[in-house]
Amino acid sequence: MTKHILIVLMALVLFSCKNETKNEDNSQESKEISQEINVYTHRHYEADQELFKRFEEQTGIKVNVINASADELIQKMTLEGDKSPADVLITVDAGRLHRAKTSGLLQPISSMILDSIIPSHLMDTDKNWFALTKRARVIAYAKDRIKPEDLSTYQDLTDVKWNNKILIRSSSNIYNQSLLASIIANEGEEKAKQWAESLVANMARSPKGNDRDQVKAVAAGEGDLAIVNTYYIGMLTNSENPEERKVAESIGIFFPNQETTGTHVNVSGAGVAKYAPNKDNAVKFIEFLVSEEAQEVFALSNFEYPVNSNVKVSETLKKWGSFTEDKLNLSLLGENNKKAVILFDEAGWK
Amino acid sequence: MKQAGSSDIFSIKNKLFRLKRDSNRWSIITLCVVFLIALPVLTIAFKLFNGPGESWTHIVKNLLGDYVSNSFYLLVVCSFLVFVFGVTTAWLVARYEFPFRKQLEWLLILPLAIPSYIVAYAYAGVFDYGGSLEVIQRFFGMEFTRVDVMNRFGLAFVLSISLFPYVYVSTRAFFLNQANNLLEASRMLGVGEIRTFFKLILPLARPAIVAGLILVLMEVLNDYGAAQYFGVNTFTTGIFRSWFSLEEPETAIYLSALLLLLVFSIILFEKWQRRKMQYSSGKTNNQSIYRKITNKRKQFLIFCIVITPVLFGFFIPVAQLIYWAVLTYSSVFHYEFLLLSVQTFSIAFITAAVTVILATLLIFSSRWNRIGFIKNLSKLGVLGYAIPGAVVAIGIMIPTLAIDRWLMDLIEKISGQSFGFIIHGTLFALVYAYAVRFLAVAYNPIESTTLKVSNAIPDASKTLGVGNFKTFFKIEYPLIKTGMLSAFILVFVDVLKELPLTLILKPFQVNTLAVKAFEYASDERVMEAAIPSLFIIFTAAIPVVFLNKLLVSK
Repeated sequence: MTKHILIVLMALVLFSCKNETKNEDNSQESKEISQEINVYTHRHYEADQELFKRFEEQTGIKVNVINASADELIQKMTLEGDKSPADVLITVDAGRLHRAKTSGLLQPISSMILDSIIPSHLMDTDKNWFALTKRARVIAYAKDRIKPEDLSTYQDLTDVKWNNKILIRSSSNIYNQSLLASIIANEGEEKAKQWAESLVANMARSPKGNDRDQVKAVAAGEGDLAIVNTYYIGMLTNSENPEERKVAESIGIFFPNQETTGTHVNVSGAGVAKYAPNKDNAVKFIEFLVSEEAQEVFALSNFEYPVNSNVKVSETLKKWGSFTEDKLNLSLLGENNKKAVILFDEAGWK
Repeated sequence: MKQAGSSDIFSIKNKLFRLKRDSNRWSIITLCVVFLIALPVLTIAFKLFNGPGESWTHIVKNLLGDYVSNSFYLLVVCSFLVFVFGVTTAWLVARYEFPFRKQLEWLLILPLAIPSYIVAYAYAGVFDYGGSLEVIQRFFGMEFTRVDVMNRFGLAFVLSISLFPYVYVSTRAFFLNQANNLLEASRMLGVGEIRTFFKLILPLARPAIVAGLILVLMEVLNDYGAAQYFGVNTFTTGIFRSWFSLEEPETAIYLSALLLLLVFSIILFEKWQRRKMQYSSGKTNNQSIYRKITNKRKQFLIFCIVITPVLFGFFIPVAQLIYWAVLTYSSVFHYEFLLLSVQTFSIAFITAAVTVILATLLIFSSRWNRIGFIKNLSKLGVLGYAIPGAVVAIGIMIPTLAIDRWLMDLIEKISGQSFGFIIHGTLFALVYAYAVRFLAVAYNPIESTTLKVSNAIPDASKTLGVGNFKTFFKIEYPLIKTGMLSAFILVFVDVLKELPLTLILKPFQVNTLAVKAFEYASDERVMEAAIPSLFIIFTAAIPVVFLNKLLVSK
């Protein structure tokens, strides 16, 4: 028995020695290529990869990427704690950035460049995160059946005249949650609950599918209106599938709440991780992403609205016209997210 | 009183004595493997003590009823469909000679290679407005008949059609190995073909069928992508909702525990049902099954029956994917996909090997150990499959990160320098996670083949002084080889399409085809996901075809 213990002990000692030497090698190596940055991102578009490459070329800082859904990345960062290799977290909605902030995963950044480019309602009140691009939640209507004059606000969609006409996806979708969160912030919980309940009553079918599917159902006549993201309609309009392009041609885009609060927008954004090993690089990286050069790539290849006002929107978006957006600070979307989910459940919005 | 006390002590002493007498190194190995595999599950179970989050009552009040009824519906309908598809095809393929039998043998495994959420998207693509069916009907000048697949039954159908190969593979392994001598005996006694099947073959094939069926049901309960897309709320969509939308991991873990309870009771119920039955066969039968050749009309009928599940589970979704791939080819295809295929292939290969070895070790070491409760404990190893992958990932991360932290601090103290994680975020952790998750996939087919190997021959061999290992390689291994190969194929294919674990645990530089497909699909670019999905299918087809040859040849 003692013999066994001795062997195990020796093995342990040997193993730890081996680790030590490896460690020294590693640290020497890492000094030579310390110019790198680890990005945890929910965005996985070619445009982003293109931008990462450009950033590498311009700065010599290597970009390491982990792609996963924001929820999983936040979970990963939480468990990794102060040892996390993450420098930058990128998500496609403000709610999750807010969650990362309240979980203590981000740190405030003071950057003249970011402050001057990004409008204040599109960044965290404590400057923990910054928007990169915008998406608006709009009404897609059947051109042959609905006149845009009949449309006005999100609130109007609860009117009985739209009974059995409205298509919208499941409440597990973050953009629906953010929309309801904005209504909670603007009008209070009671009104928001009524809105959700009346909208469920007006639905043309039980929620299923994604945003594209809602638009297709409008084109096919299952309903007359769909509440969807501009980003997805942009993709539908430019689809490789002729059937989908035909669908996109048959619908019109309406920006609601122009006379009141403005159309609800969500953002994709980035924050610097609290324990970022390469903080300076991380700030440089985000500054690069909102630069005119990078914003142009976002705008042209991805049907998103740039946050940098010097950059023009893509041709597809230009055709829909300009609009007034809801200037609600996006932090509030995160703060009200959970309330929104509970209201959805109570309203029976699947 | 005094007497009773001393007899208590005596009985404890006696128990301890027996424990010491019966324990051998196999007991310890079993315990080690079980611990390794069950550690993440136990970590999660431990979290149950924290209680559910504050929204628990809200979930029970507003959502749980829906979750239970939908999950139950899926369990029942999928069991039925999978049983029909899996057992009929396995039997016909093993028993009859008909045109294209050899090709169909492996084509029947391939539906498994398409991630079920991709099958769901493909079916939606076929039946959608402006979908393939409408285009085809329009071409022939027909009126568009829309079939809505995005509902509960559609989901059950899609899941069954992409998962029935689990039952097919394990049942066929049984038919190939065992059915022949039984058939002969039955025929000599003058019993007809159909009666023999229902009275003799089917009851005997039960462990094999159940082994496959349990895997299917666990996978059905576990599905997230397809259920979410079709708008059907199940336990697993509920787990994700409470975890991510309600921001309460504790509540998610509570729901997982309920799910686990459900799976465990299914397994126990089945065990209880066949409690007294023994399935070992006296003979070791290596003679390949004698295939019946019937007349042309019957052959054609059999061909039609066998090809139906292949048509729905493979050809239709693949045709839809190919159509999408053609549309998006120019913008999506990149030579990088070939590299990615090689990477994914190697990861899956290593994992399949590790998992099959672990499962075999677990089965046999628990057999060779003589302590009853350790034998039962070894069953715990399969639980990883019942929990959603994303939850398993947490179970993996908590202990590995704890070890890493300890190691990092130690190294920092010794050398004064710090460096990154050693286990977490490396390939090692990823393969470990896969092994935890997929042990059941390997365990069940291997176990069901070992059940048929009678103990008499290995026992005789050991009486003659041959050790456990040598006996295993000389006698048991050749007999359970089919089970092990089936297990290897299943794990391999499962790893190829695995998503949540890979997303969370993969190292920075590593990527898999499934991740690539998901990147597109999660962005509503379903058409663009077709090319990586097709690559998954091709990568899976190589070992499936090759190993299937090994499986059927003698």
